[in-house]
Amino acid sequence: MFLEDVKVIENIQIADNYYLMRVEGTKIPQHSKPGQFFMLQCKDNSKVLRRPISLHNVDGNILEFYYEALGKGTKEFTRLSIGETINIQGPLGNGYDTDLKGKNIVVIGGGMGMAPIKYLIKDLKDNNDITFIGGGRNAGAVKIIEKFDFKNIQLKVATDDGSVGIKGNTVDILKKILKDENKNIDIIYTCGPHPMMEAVAKVAQENNIRCQISLEERMACGIKACVGCSILTKKGMKKVCYDGPVFESTDIVDVDVVDPNGGCK
Amino acid sequence: MSNRLNISFLGKKLNNPIMTASGCFGYGLEYKDYFNPNELGAAVLKGITMEPRNGNPGTRIAETPSGMLNSVGLENPGIEEFKKIIPSIKKELNIPLVANINGKILEEYIAIAKEVEQIEEIEMVELNISCPNVKDGGMAFGANPEMARLVTREVRKVLSKPMIVKLSPNVTNIVEIAKIVEEEGANGVALINTLLGMAVDIRKRKPILGNIMGGLSGPAVKPVALRMIYQVSQAVSIPVLGMGGISSTEDAIEFIMVGASAISLGTGMFANPTLPIEIKKGLEKYCIENNIDNISEIVGAAHPDGGAAYRSRLGGNNEIKG
Repeated sequence: MFLEDVKVIENIQIADNYYLMRVEGTKIPQHSKPGQFFMLQCKDNSKVLRRPISLHNVDGNILEFYYEALGKGTKEFTRLSIGETINIQGPLGNGYDTDLKGKNIVVIGGGMGMAPIKYLIKDLKDNNDITFIGGGRNAGAVKIIEKFDFKNIQLKVATDDGSVGIKGNTVDILKKILKDENKNIDIIYTCGPHPMMEAVAKVAQENNIRCQISLEERMACGIKACVGCSILTKKGMKKVCYDGPVFESTDIVDVDVVDPNGGCK
Repeated sequence: MSNRLNISFLGKKLNNPIMTASGCFGYGLEYKDYFNPNELGAAVLKGITMEPRNGNPGTRIAETPSGMLNSVGLENPGIEEFKKIIPSIKKELNIPLVANINGKILEEYIAIAKEVEQIEEIEMVELNISCPNVKDGGMAFGANPEMARLVTREVRKVLSKPMIVKLSPNVTNIVEIAKIVEEEGANGVALINTLLGMAVDIRKRKPILGNIMGGLSGPAVKPVALRMIYQVSQAVSIPVLGMGGISSTEDAIEFIMVGASAISLGTGMFANPTLPIEIKKGLEKYCIENNIDNISEIVGAAHPDGGAAYRSRLGGNNEIKG
């Protein structure tokens, strides 16, 4: 497993609290999967836990992390300058199942849930037909899309305030695609706020479409040693850090009760 | 590596005094990608109960200044599953394995002790009477001197393996409870378990933890742990397994100097998964630089008498001369 100090080569504000950090290491693991995450260590020792940050992209010996600076730990990351080091641990968790060819795929990212999407699309796009639906509260929440590689995929964007794309949300677009386009969707991948994923999962189930969702939970160890991030699923207690963060939507006990605070009731 | 760190703990020879804190090391193999777990002195496994438990609802983790709160609530697969996985764990770990046992009621403690007694791969038992995250049992036993006496006495009757009783710091007089469990046959005491605490999400205007309260661990609790180990080790004649916020070699030495014969690492490993190896190297270096033949020579060194009386009471039990 990779546990190493890596060098920050870029750390820029995308919009509001959204940041993109690129790091370079000598032995960056090449076996990572979209949907996996890394645990990033804070330099301030008073912060005793690492921060789980989704893997945004892998490019040779460079890793990208798209993160939201909300708490003290992630705000510390925003102050890292080019050339400084940060200790990272990973890749961790169970990513999206991307071993697919010739499929019609819908990828839905909402707000900070755009974090694993770039890598996911990159992994899928050469072998599949992809529609990407990006959404967020406002223009800032979807600005990261400008940095994606969109060749050969269909892009649809929605914002709550209508500042970019249509005024509405990603689920509206998904429903419209299912209604208007006579396309047989094989699988939906989604990451974003829980209410959005809940709605996407319901639409997927109603239409008998396989759907993978990426859950978020507070975690301490990231390697199933502390059992802090467990959730109740149809297959029993599962650790978001190890069994997830990506789950089949049908494995979650009941998508109607996905807890907006994380995990499941 | 010399044998400066070799100790005898509860009659077992350990390569070094570094152990893991229950609930922070899974079932022994979770950290093997980061270091060889056989480098530890012993591994204390995640707590088990008779029946499988789902634990408490989320959110279960909250970070606090220099610490963390957890309200896991003893999620575990139950003793039957534990018995199935132990042989495969033992195939990879040739260090002593310590089972941490828990119960809601006295009868459950007795029943699980009987089960663990039969598991040959388990060399020691940590009797947890101090989990703050379960409604029944747990801390209810550890916070009440007579309950602590009763559970220790009854478990001792059915358990011949070396037994460490893990004490709760959420009490007025830790020394009284330590002496009671010693009287009732504990071979060692572990302290401290987590301190009961809470944190609030000011945006949502409600507690962060789903269980409202949780156990505080990490560097924030270190001074409390040091104080309690200092007090207890001067009052008992059994070894102390010290824990509570150890995140460096210097911390480990402090714990040993206040009276811990061995130490357990927990929260510190979350930030630094290779912490046991760093501390092992650090203790070795410290011994060399200070002409210490064996680490047990400094157990209780910070006591008023330099620890002589306590080490004498231990009878050199935790020392192996090189």
